[in-house]
Amino acid sequence: MGFENKRTKFAVLAALFVLAAVLPLFLDNYTLNVLWNAMFYMLLALGLNIIVGYTGLCDLGYAAKFAIGAYTTGILIKTFGWNFWLTLPVSALVSALAACVIGAPTLKLRSDYLAIVTLGFAEIVRISARNLDITGSASGINAIERPYFFGIHLTKISHWYYVFFALVIVFIIISKRIRYSRFGRALAFIREDEDAAQAMGVNTTLFKLYAYIAGAVLGGITGSFYAVKMTSISPGSFDFTQSANILLAVILGGMGKIPGVIVGAAFFAIFPELFRDVPFVGNMRMLFFGLLLIVVMINRPQGLWPEKPVKR
Amino acid sequence: MALMQVSDLTMTFSGITAIENLTFNIEEGSITSLIGPNGAGKTSVFNCMTGFYKATNGNITFQGESLINLKPYKITQKGIIRTFQNVRLFKNLTVLENVISGTHRVTKQSVLGALLKYPAQRREEKEALKIAETCLETVGLSEKKHQLAKNLSYGDQRRTELARALAAKPKLLLLDEPAAGLNREEKNKLAEHIHFFRDKFGITVFLIEHDMDLVMKVSEKVVVVNFGGKIAEGTPEEIQANRLVIEAYLGTDEDEGGL
Repeated sequence: MGFENKRTKFAVLAALFVLAAVLPLFLDNYTLNVLWNAMFYMLLALGLNIIVGYTGLCDLGYAAKFAIGAYTTGILIKTFGWNFWLTLPVSALVSALAACVIGAPTLKLRSDYLAIVTLGFAEIVRISARNLDITGSASGINAIERPYFFGIHLTKISHWYYVFFALVIVFIIISKRIRYSRFGRALAFIREDEDAAQAMGVNTTLFKLYAYIAGAVLGGITGSFYAVKMTSISPGSFDFTQSANILLAVILGGMGKIPGVIVGAAFFAIFPELFRDVPFVGNMRMLFFGLLLIVVMINRPQGLWPEKPVKR
Repeated sequence: MALMQVSDLTMTFSGITAIENLTFNIEEGSITSLIGPNGAGKTSVFNCMTGFYKATNGNITFQGESLINLKPYKITQKGIIRTFQNVRLFKNLTVLENVISGTHRVTKQSVLGALLKYPAQRREEKEALKIAETCLETVGLSEKKHQLAKNLSYGDQRRTELARALAAKPKLLLLDEPAAGLNREEKNKLAEHIHFFRDKFGITVFLIEHDMDLVMKVSEKVVVVNFGGKIAEGTPEEIQANRLVIEAYLGTDEDEGGL
């Protein structure tokens, strides 16, 4: 469904915006929570999209990035009594540092090695979290206090729906700005042909590191919000399945395309829920979901979202 | 002093010598060609000049500075821009975006600029777009700027690569077999472009080419290599009359000069 012109595009986006904004008035808490979960995956997918979709790096450990954000916020609130909003910059900083530590030595290598290193790093993060005292070991961090936003105590699911809705919009704007900038184009050049990108003067190692940091910071911020929404975090929330899910959402929708990534994440979060109550199928819904993924990937290896039509 | 000086360049790959003690200069503002039979080591010379290969021995200087051990992007940043033998465009990006990649060298906004879009960043974006559009016009591809590079004809892909290199405002332009796969008309156009780049923008051009018509038409100086070593150097007329060259190259491989 290629948008024919800017006006229709704007109208569609405005309608979507209004629809999303009024939805909580009509929906029950369970449905809202499903939608919240969808938006949570959208945030993670948008963050990972900068690494995987824009730059073409393979990251198999994105869960570690949002674990770092979640634990940073959790520890600062629980152990040091910080205000949630103040933990955000720290969370971003810690995520960026972690991305440097893992990215700087590995991004010089080919992408395949990065996949293995990120996978290993994610396990290190998860196992450390399970064994350290400060992270609450296996039981994690519980009863994290929920924050206030201009006097409103964010306790209801509808509050979190709006918070994440706003975050999705912010992440989309960030993604768009990156894509249509010198920085974002350099990432696209690296993805398309690393040698040619070098030949055009792109410091490929540095730009890959920037992309990696940007993706990690978005993941970390998402993790921070996740921690206060859930009020408890434990190592189980950040295992390899989680990383694989996010990667799948990005690939399913169409790597690098923002609407595609959004649709992919939504599909990923909502589809299994739709079948939860259907008898017989309900128990095997993940099996059907897996089959569906295979069908989609065979028929549309470029992802669900269509190619951009050529402007003439 | 010459713009680029290659002195005693030697390059070996696990015991096989691709280039041996090669010495030549590229004068500023000149059009110089490097010719030689297949496997003579021409592309290796190119790859050493652009940092894609590490020379085993010898030196390459550009404006008096050594290029040895510099990474390719550093060399590009100095103003040495190359094209590739087998066109290496960014296939899934538009022609315009491909050409804008050339402006990467002459612009500097980074992550913060992208996120905050402050005035300096917007100005630079406009500037980059303008450079790219001018370059597309120069090679005559303006009306195809929104097409994906992979959907272009081969000749148009070659021209896109040329526009991309031009957008980088090169001091020295290195063309690796730019005429390969082009028809006669496209070759004539290419020769015109090479002259235009030099005359209008003062770009020094160095090319590797098999097509003798083109080489003789555009070059002011020709360097001939065989088995990695230089066997002759001179004006096109001198080269055409050189017995060593005729024996080593033109004489045994006459077809190279035709289509």
